[in-house]
Amino acid sequence: MKKTLALILAAIMVFSLAACGGQKAAADEAAAEAVVEAVAEEAYEEGAADAAEAVEEAADAKFIMGIDPEYPPFSYLGDDGDYTGFDVEVCKAACEKLGWEFEVFGVNWDEKLVQLDSNECDCVWSGMTLLDSMAEAGYVLSAPYYDNTQVVLVKKDSGITSSEDLAGMAVAVQLGTSGEALLNGDLADLTATFGDLVTCDSFLKCFTELDGNAVDAVFVDAPVAKAYVEGKEDQYVIIDEGLGAEQYGIAFRADDQELCDAIEGAVAELVADGTYAKIADKYPDIKNNLLFLQ
Amino acid sequence: MSLLTMIAKMSEGFGRTCAIFFLTLIFSLPLGMIVALLRMSKNKVVSAVTRFFISVLRGTPLMLQLLAVTYGPYYLFGISVSRNKLIPVVVAFSINYAAYFAEIYRGGIESISPGQYEAAKVLGYTKVQTFMRIILPQVVKRIMPSVTNEVVTLVKDTSIAFTVSYQEMFTIGKQIANSQTSFVPFVVAGVFYFVFNAIVDFVMGRIEKKLDYYK
Repeated sequence: MKKTLALILAAIMVFSLAACGGQKAAADEAAAEAVVEAVAEEAYEEGAADAAEAVEEAADAKFIMGIDPEYPPFSYLGDDGDYTGFDVEVCKAACEKLGWEFEVFGVNWDEKLVQLDSNECDCVWSGMTLLDSMAEAGYVLSAPYYDNTQVVLVKKDSGITSSEDLAGMAVAVQLGTSGEALLNGDLADLTATFGDLVTCDSFLKCFTELDGNAVDAVFVDAPVAKAYVEGKEDQYVIIDEGLGAEQYGIAFRADDQELCDAIEGAVAELVADGTYAKIADKYPDIKNNLLFLQ
Repeated sequence: MSLLTMIAKMSEGFGRTCAIFFLTLIFSLPLGMIVALLRMSKNKVVSAVTRFFISVLRGTPLMLQLLAVTYGPYYLFGISVSRNKLIPVVVAFSINYAAYFAEIYRGGIESISPGQYEAAKVLGYTKVQTFMRIILPQVVKRIMPSVTNEVVTLVKDTSIAFTVSYQEMFTIGKQIANSQTSFVPFVVAGVFYFVFNAIVDFVMGRIEKKLDYYK
């Protein structure tokens, strides 16, 4: 009984597969005919429809913004579950100006440029530090819009007051951030005095390590530190020694100069009509560092 | 950065990868046996509780368990996060792998025919003697291929330790890839894992052959 059933099922499977194959072959043939006999009326009409679609697509172009979803206040998951943040709001407003459909894509920050290259997003715009290495690698970079420095975030009762006090201490930094690049590059001498440099894959982990006493300090971008400390001023101290001053900008793919120009133009309009300042008002921590408002 | 410096840097991390690998095996292989015996316990409560733990450990990602072991004690009880990340990493890995090994052991033990137990009883073997001298040697032989499977997976799973900032080989590879804007470290990491697994395969193959003494 079981054997018969199995045989019947197997037979059904084979036939259904064959049917699929048949349909596919038919479709292929049809496609080939459509190309070769472009003059044939039916195929001609089909082609026209395709062309019309292509035009329509261009009209409501979709702009996919690549962000680090864990980088407040520039880009983060808002209370309502949608991505928000200064950069996200500016980009959204710019896309509205250009009449483009706007979409946010959360990149894996330490692989952001690979994801940009593979068309998963159209730009990386998320409190991103402009690096010489990006320009050298051929990426189209926007003009900088933000001045940033690196600060050291410590607990109030730690007794650490300057970067010199970090000698022998454990310091956390996020992988793929400019702070990490700095500690392994220009500030390597300072890093050498640390007891340990712990590389985390998100800021939350860095801060958890600090809260849990696994590290003594977090090396972090100034606005991120300010946003984290807000409301908890009695627990933390931010040490700002102007370390590694740097600038934020937007990265586009190598062949996307036009896209960069369009976005920069739209942002300039936003600055001119005051929308930009209005958005900036919502983010007081970073407002003073915005280059377009100075 | 030259390829040689890259490999040198990643070799440093490779030592830590090996530390996770060997410590996890040392703890999880015996622990798995204990769990397997509890799972097969005649006491229904013990068996059910063990079964529940196994299903939780096999049903949630290792990454999540690693986070729970590392940061859970701090969030729940305010206990400081361990500075030496090797401890939580090995604890989480050992518990997780013990659950898998336990099920492999159980399968092996249950595959032995009940007739052998009866024969041993007739010959005057005690329960412990029966298990240690008759059942276990056969079980070990039977489960070797499945154990090899898990061991190979463990080699690759070590990269998950990155989640809690343990500087093993893949973490360092990612850091280099990031600072050099280069894909080469990933290729190097792939070669490292492949060679490591080739050695594991070879060693396990030898052990399997050695245990093949009945044929």
